[in-house]
Amino acid sequence: MIDNPVIFYSASFLLILFVLGALFARNIIYSLLCSVVVFFLGALFFYVLGSEYNAIIQAAVYGLAVPVLIGISIMFWHNGKEKEKRAEKFTIPYITLMCAGIFVLAFVYLVMMSVAMVPDTFCIKELAQVNAFDNISVFAKGIFVNYVWAFELVSLLLTIVIAGLSLFKKRGA
Amino acid sequence: MDITIYHYLFIGLLLFLCGLIGSVLVKNVIKVLISIEFMLMGVNINFVAFASFCDNITFDGYIFALFYMGIGAVELAVAIYIFYLMYQKKQSDSIDKYSDL
Repeated sequence: MIDNPVIFYSASFLLILFVLGALFARNIIYSLLCSVVVFFLGALFFYVLGSEYNAIIQAAVYGLAVPVLIGISIMFWHNGKEKEKRAEKFTIPYITLMCAGIFVLAFVYLVMMSVAMVPDTFCIKELAQVNAFDNISVFAKGIFVNYVWAFELVSLLLTIVIAGLSLFKKRGA
Repeated sequence: MDITIYHYLFIGLLLFLCGLIGSVLVKNVIKVLISIEFMLMGVNINFVAFASFCDNITFDGYIFALFYMGIGAVELAVAIYIFYLMYQKKQSDSIDKYSDL
């Protein structure tokens, strides 16, 4: 686990910035690119928290596979003639107000943390100390021993999804 | 100043709130799906933060986050496919047109 305030605050700032960019960018491609950055920053948070395996899965699935899927869907969706041109309802002052509210909240929280108004009894002092090998063994034990029924149920659910989508396409929706 | 669990919980909360605001306010279907993924990622950060700070033995939060990532990716794929099928009839990417989903 990496306890570095510079990494945390810079990554947090970039995360919120790109989240807002993804939500309010006018071009959908820019929105997708911002979301890719957000997903990779999420993987960075997982890595900083000591969960390398989750970070790899996050980067592989959400940083690479999901944006490709969304990009292909954008290509399909905007292939035909767009019949309507929507006016953008959310104006700049509204977005500015929301961003200001979020950053004021963050500032108040940081001030409270700096003057130690938050009770410290909740957080356990002893931090997790695991290396990569222990991390993988913890995952294996969790998936295949402690939560094996949940794992099987998820597998069954994914199989049902695949079969359902195949039937859905066969019937022509 | 040390980075505590509250910092990560607050980042998760911010991410969840931004995703919630985006999923409610934004009209584009793809942006709504991306907002939902932001919400899921905020929850995942909370899971991993709790596992790292408060669970030194079993790390259950890592496992929950792993399940959540798999289910979230499949849910996104299914949602995109359903919206794509409806887009062929609606010819619009505005979420208001999909009220009869």
